[in-house]
Amino acid sequence: MNKVKIEKFDVYGQVCPSTLLLALREVNRLQDELHRGEVQLDIRTDNRFATATIPNAVRNMGFDAKVRKEEDGYLIQVCAGRD
Amino acid sequence: MFPVLTTMLLGLFLGLLAGAIMQRSDFCMTATFRDFFLFRSTTLLASLLILVTLSAILFELVRTLAGTESFALPVFGVPSLVTVFGGGLFGVGMVLAGGCVVGTLYRLGSGSRLALWALIGLIAGSALYAEIHPFWSTLKKMTSFGPQTVTLPQWSGLPPWVFVLSLMVATGLLIFWRPQTFAPLPGWREMKGYIPPLYAALALAGVGALSVILYGRSLGVTTSYAKLAAHLEQLLIPGHLAATPFFQTQTPIVFPFVPGPLIAGPGPTFDGIAVMQYPLIIGIILGSALSAWQLGEWRWSAAANWRQTSSVLVGGLLMGLASRMAAGCNIQHLWGGLPIFSVQSLLFLAGILPGVWLGGRLLIRWVLPENLRR
Repeated sequence: MNKVKIEKFDVYGQVCPSTLLLALREVNRLQDELHRGEVQLDIRTDNRFATATIPNAVRNMGFDAKVRKEEDGYLIQVCAGRD
Repeated sequence: MFPVLTTMLLGLFLGLLAGAIMQRSDFCMTATFRDFFLFRSTTLLASLLILVTLSAILFELVRTLAGTESFALPVFGVPSLVTVFGGGLFGVGMVLAGGCVVGTLYRLGSGSRLALWALIGLIAGSALYAEIHPFWSTLKKMTSFGPQTVTLPQWSGLPPWVFVLSLMVATGLLIFWRPQTFAPLPGWREMKGYIPPLYAALALAGVGALSVILYGRSLGVTTSYAKLAAHLEQLLIPGHLAATPFFQTQTPIVFPFVPGPLIAGPGPTFDGIAVMQYPLIIGIILGSALSAWQLGEWRWSAAANWRQTSSVLVGGLLMGLASRMAAGCNIQHLWGGLPIFSVQSLLFLAGILPGVWLGGRLLIRWVLPENLRR
């Protein structure tokens, strides 16, 4: 089984809705690898609102997302959809 | 003094409640309108509609049970066309600031550095309004129209329940036709302590109704920003403060549980505005801070770049200016005014929509990181 490569993307200290837009641009850049399940995108942010909007947006694009709290913010993991 | 102190303590409690609910749900009226224009997202708009409809029912219930002829009416004043302009300017301001006058408070409470800049802007904008107040009041009188009444029920002569019932039916039909618009986003249970905006709207409608019982009017905070500006001017330029007519304006304010009217105005005195708004402001900041701390999420946010920081400062300034131009902010008009069908609040809404759209364009063109500008 192929190992999933983890891409990291940090968005801190942004005015709304910059966090979401920057994150989505990164998702778009990696969309083929993400769909094929080769890559998992780890988005780190200090914007609480983005933990609701980013997962919703990427789910609408056919990906899956998990949200986790960390020491200095939130981790949103985006990976291939389950189907 | 005792009733005043009790009113202030109860107000602090209301503020704490509102701040905590807003922090948990990120109930952001800026995102409500902005994300509709930018992403065609209607989730938050649906929550706002629920807040307005439920508030209309609760406010009317309180009014009927308390047996008072009307409440909160003088705050909005008679219709004037300049309110559309004020609403528009406010819309631009709140998008640039990334949050409204109350959003700024709950974000500050949970540790947002940007919110601090918005707050400075709000105070500066209120001071700026004081300078143009005489001119603006004249303009406001010149563009006032219709019969000199505050609400649609007064204007039409129909009883308020006709309007409340119509709103209930309209909202009910929307829920029936588009139930998925009103449902919380899938996956909301994954975040500990997250309250979907829809549930927050239900809770906030309750907070608003308690405010009407306690103060005889809906929540408001913006006159306090003018008061803070007045206090600063008193320290720095007392001569100018004394010569600025806006800071001398006073209107009596009556609270149900405080005997006799209190004077109230934007001047640097401890008056009815301070009794009502100071505890609310402190409460919202503290409530949000406690809520974030309890979730283990309280932290100062990272500093933003100069472009975004100046955008937030300018946005705050526009909001401070516009909320005085429009006789109230988004909270007063959309949460307090729409539920009683205040014509001024409808005019404010008519202005805020194009304002938010324009704000979104400006944000994308000038403020967001270069590679995001389309």
